[in-house]
Amino acid sequence: MITQRSPLAAYDPTAFWDEMFSAPGVVRPHYAALARRLETLSAQEVTRRQRAADLSFQARGITFAVNQDPSGLEKIMPFDLVPRIILPEEWERIERGLEQRVRALNLFLHDIYHEQKILGSGLIPPELVLGARGYRREVRSVEPPLGVYTHVVGSDLVRDHRGEFYVLEDNLRVPSGVSYVVENRRVLKRVWPQIFTDYPIRPVEGYPQDLLSVLREVAPPIADTATVVLLTPGVHNSAFFEHAFLAKAMGIEMVQGSDLFVDDATVYMRTTSGRQRVDVIYRRVDDDFIDPLAFRRDSFLGVPGLLATYRMGRVSLANALGTGVADDKAIYAYVPTIIKFYLGEDEIIPNVKTYVAADPSERTYILEHIAELVVKSVNASGGYGMLIGPHASKADREEYRRRIEADPRGYIAQPTLALSRHPSWSDGSLEGRHVDLRPYVLFGKEIRVTPGGLTRVALRAGSLVVNSSQGGGAKDTWVLG
Amino acid sequence: MLCRVADDLYWTARYVERGIAVSRLIDVTRHLELDVGTEVSDFWGPLVGAIGLSAEDVSFFLLSDEKNPDSLISSVRHARELARGIRESISSEMWEELNTLYQSLALPGAQRRAQGDSLSFQRLVRERLQHFQGLAGSTLAHDEPWHFLSLGTYLERADGVVRLLSRQAHLLAPREEAETTDADMVRWLAVLRSCGSAEAYARFYSLRVEPIRIVEFLLLNPVFPQSVRFALGAADDALSAVAALRTAAANEPGPGIRTLGRVRGEVEHAAIDEVFEAGLEEFLLGVQRSIAQVSDEVTATYLRDEPQPSRLVGVARAAMLMAAQQQQ
Repeated sequence: MITQRSPLAAYDPTAFWDEMFSAPGVVRPHYAALARRLETLSAQEVTRRQRAADLSFQARGITFAVNQDPSGLEKIMPFDLVPRIILPEEWERIERGLEQRVRALNLFLHDIYHEQKILGSGLIPPELVLGARGYRREVRSVEPPLGVYTHVVGSDLVRDHRGEFYVLEDNLRVPSGVSYVVENRRVLKRVWPQIFTDYPIRPVEGYPQDLLSVLREVAPPIADTATVVLLTPGVHNSAFFEHAFLAKAMGIEMVQGSDLFVDDATVYMRTTSGRQRVDVIYRRVDDDFIDPLAFRRDSFLGVPGLLATYRMGRVSLANALGTGVADDKAIYAYVPTIIKFYLGEDEIIPNVKTYVAADPSERTYILEHIAELVVKSVNASGGYGMLIGPHASKADREEYRRRIEADPRGYIAQPTLALSRHPSWSDGSLEGRHVDLRPYVLFGKEIRVTPGGLTRVALRAGSLVVNSSQGGGAKDTWVLG
Repeated sequence: MLCRVADDLYWTARYVERGIAVSRLIDVTRHLELDVGTEVSDFWGPLVGAIGLSAEDVSFFLLSDEKNPDSLISSVRHARELARGIRESISSEMWEELNTLYQSLALPGAQRRAQGDSLSFQRLVRERLQHFQGLAGSTLAHDEPWHFLSLGTYLERADGVVRLLSRQAHLLAPREEAETTDADMVRWLAVLRSCGSAEAYARFYSLRVEPIRIVEFLLLNPVFPQSVRFALGAADDALSAVAALRTAAANEPGPGIRTLGRVRGEVEHAAIDEVFEAGLEEFLLGVQRSIAQVSDEVTATYLRDEPQPSRLVGVARAAMLMAAQQQQ
């Protein structure tokens, strides 16, 4: 079915799981219609559409500031035209798996800030939980509305060489990237509308409305008509575009810390007609920075007195304070245990095998096998603070050995995964590039998983790091209906 | 609406209007140079506060001098930076208009090309800025954010026209000799053109161009949108709408509304002969001071809940710190 001259003829799916090909020249059935489109596409046409997409991102200012780049340059996230397609049955399992996971993690968070039953069970070392950097004693015994801590979750999924999905990490604090899910779809529709006629694709545009419903659902009971705002750190933040995008789509105010103040146990915003009460804050500011009276004193991004108001239940925060403990990479290793403990179920989507350096025998294993493992700092994200053993220099491996011995609680290790690959455009030809998948889960009265997600792609040949800060790009992600 | 957003809307509008005014000046300067050669320094010398500059120097100063806070480039950059921070409060079309304009100016070589053909360049930029103003009127609800944009636009316009008239007062003063030279005519027309008002003037009077009528038209015309009277009226309407919202929320509307009402009334009831008799420059100076006062008072009442001058630096630093811990 693939002709010699087609751009697909030379494509080599290699030994990795390829999302589109089951063998060289053999396209998986649900990609067949897309393959036909790709075959008729000339290199010039790819370039033209690619340029149109890039221009559209640039014009709309869908950009991110690269961390620690002093020039504050705005870059667009590279966008790959070839969409990723997920079958309904694959998606159904992902949806059930994420719902199970999020439900269990919220029960876990409630427990460790209240009765602490799991800490008495002997299933998870208490010092691992209570000593986690993300554990906030300040919110002990605070009862968040509906018992929900993580209103927005973005968990990273990967597939191994057999096509099995795994959860690589959970993002339970302030996960970003969902604006790209919506914008990638919009841009692809604009620059390559033809391919949309071949597939029944589930829409992703409803996300902001779903998020708004969740935020209204978790308003404090004292508020009859809730005022919801989005708290952004400001234009210097790498996700500023997303904050503006969501605030606009939800029709709510986007505020900065200096726009808010606390008076008489109430949060107000400064408006042109005077003060106005705020009931729900969708905050895109980390715990550490949210209240200089309670956490980092040097933070200008937060609101003095916010924690006290929150503790009194007079303002809701999404996500709640103190969720970072549950996406600590050492706690991650215990998520299957957590699911079993609270729900009495086995996990639907498995974890990646994880060695926790805090455990003496596992630490020994890590130190002996560091050349085969990926070592991660438990609190870092964005592709920072990690060592990919097989690709690392001897000096780097020694450096990480030293660090692990100095601070075992700070590190975990996982086997190097053979992440699945997906055909992506590279200099006029299709080449396999590693991908992951970040679906977004909303939790208010019920749990909703947006049908789609952010497929991040490591555009450098051979690279396993998909983070946008490390040269990663993105694809539109289709869940078929 | 948020004070910060209102503040940024107000200044976005002012920078956009300022950019339009500057681009007209560039246009007029270049045309003057081509019409009457190097003897025009008495026209554009006052514009840039220096005598003895070549037309090219002036054009650079107005067009792309980053050190000149009022240059066309600076105005566009300021407007875009502000709009970026409040992009959720304006329409996507408005934001994209400023963003793509800014990006086209930031392209390598754009400045050189601009200097090489400043006439078509300033025209292009002006059209984009005017497009932005048009989009504001047609894509935003005409409620509070739009009122703050209008307030900024019209206060800036009134201020710009008043300043231009002040600087050219020496050209426009009544003179003994009846003879007007071709060069006089060209300069007077240049004043009108600087305010985008030559065609409207011709249609309104259908008479020879004369200084007293130019001043009357630019200062006191009730229906032409580039006149000071029109602009003050529109600014007053915008501020009244905003003040009504504040009063409805049981808060003081502040002194700006009275200051603006007073200067509006003064201009509305002025007769041109009296203005000249009492002294044009004095009159213009009074209006200019009132406009500045209105801006200060509006800022104090509506745009700043409390002054926090040192905050910005801290915010930038903390955002950088936090960036390292972001989940992306």
